[in-house]
Amino acid sequence: MAQIWPVGGGKGGTGKSFITGHLGILLARQRFKTLLIDADLGAGNLHTILGLYHPDRSLSDFINKKRLTLEETVLETPVPNLFLISGDRNKLDIANLAYEQKNRMLRAILKLDYHYILVDLSAGTSFNTIDFFTLSDSGIFVCCPEPTSVENFYRLVRSVYLRKIRQILKTYDFRKLAEKAEARNPNAVINNPEALLDILKEIEPEKGSMIESLLQSFQFKLVLNQVRKQDNPKIGIFIRKVVEKHLGLNIQFLGNVGFDERVHDVLCNKGLFTDKYPYSQTAMDLKALAKGIVGATFGEDGNRALPLPDVNTLSG
Amino acid sequence: MKRPAEKTFYDVLGIEFDASSDEIKRAFKENHQLYDEDSLVSYSLFSKEEREAILARVNEAYSTLIDEKKRSRYDQSLMETGVLKEGTKSQNGRRATPLLPDSERPRNNTILAIRDELKARVSSSAVIQEILGHDVLRGKDLKKIREELGVSLEIVTEMTKIRSIFLHAIEEDQYEKAPSGTFLKSYVKAYAQSIGLDAASVAGCYLKGMNG
Repeated sequence: MAQIWPVGGGKGGTGKSFITGHLGILLARQRFKTLLIDADLGAGNLHTILGLYHPDRSLSDFINKKRLTLEETVLETPVPNLFLISGDRNKLDIANLAYEQKNRMLRAILKLDYHYILVDLSAGTSFNTIDFFTLSDSGIFVCCPEPTSVENFYRLVRSVYLRKIRQILKTYDFRKLAEKAEARNPNAVINNPEALLDILKEIEPEKGSMIESLLQSFQFKLVLNQVRKQDNPKIGIFIRKVVEKHLGLNIQFLGNVGFDERVHDVLCNKGLFTDKYPYSQTAMDLKALAKGIVGATFGEDGNRALPLPDVNTLSG
Repeated sequence: MKRPAEKTFYDVLGIEFDASSDEIKRAFKENHQLYDEDSLVSYSLFSKEEREAILARVNEAYSTLIDEKKRSRYDQSLMETGVLKEGTKSQNGRRATPLLPDSERPRNNTILAIRDELKARVSSSAVIQEILGHDVLRGKDLKKIREELGVSLEIVTEMTKIRSIFLHAIEEDQYEKAPSGTFLKSYVKAYAQSIGLDAASVAGCYLKGMNG
């Protein structure tokens, strides 16, 4: 089964699509069959990062018109082994998916046959975004070392957390629990899912510890993007510590990606940053990230799932 | 995740039960970086009251653990409530009370003096010279030398700053518990040096024994 890695981050402009696109390229070049899905439904632009300007198929062909199966919407990209389901040409009202449409999409994604599926998500904490995280119990959060971004990152993590608790408990249980929690701490339900869990562990220890262990199985990764020289390089590690300590979630810090002025120029000139400046700090950081992801999924040796041999790179 | 009430001071600072005072200071500083009001990492995560409660707890933990007397009283209370078990001590390398009473703890300036004294004892002891005459040294040989010198493993730990489980592994020839390669070699060197032996030659003989 494919490794599904949703990429989100709470705030817009943190570089989710940039990271997703470049990770996809780097994984594909390591001969992992990789699919990128642009699920930033209202504002997708992964195709632009990859240099596909007017794709003739997109996710909406699957979602709305039911004209194509999800597999039929897959586009080839200029990079061997890298495939894309574009978010271009989506209808303008597509950002508001009905529950059924969303579930149909999630089920279809689970059936696809790739080594890696990276799903580029929209900013914010709508259910469209959150459900991708709860679906795969994994995900990559892209965050910048700025107060606004860190703030929204915590919000996203807490929303995922709360959503998962809600999904596990039946509706009735949840309401009962929420009322009890509300009585003790008026902020608990809205702002503080970890307090909710504490209260649950107290009143129903069995369910509480079950949920706790399910939450422990989340495999979240954190990437700190656009890190400037003057930023504290340990912020990512600190965020990991705080999340572990206060939210009880395991988050692996994958690393910093350095800020580079030239990213802007490369985007404007419609090129790939890692190709244009392969030895820049940013490009090296991205390569280290890709390595970290392979290491996290296949172990250090990376031998468990052999990458597909790729005719194009072999002959070239 | 432990509930706040279940957290020990060690949990609060995020350190092990056998943390040294340096580690406690470092953890304290780091916790302030995490939880101070203007901290980028946590400012949006907690309300004012929550932050104040966390910082108060951090400060309380620090002031207790940094004070050897208060710390051993605190450790005692943890043992009485069963949070810290005597039995788990050796397995995890945890210690409940300070290794040595303050007065006996070798300070940096006294370590050199101790080493000179030990060197003199090494050269005057026939038993030790006999052992050092061997081509190959095993962990038990090192242990014998150390015991002959009347030095406890705790003192070696203090002087080398190497965790006692590793020193123990070296003496028992339990290579799987010892750190590998370069680390092992430098640990053996530090061990040998601390008890007044010639570090390079002892490490060489020890590695021979390990490979043979």
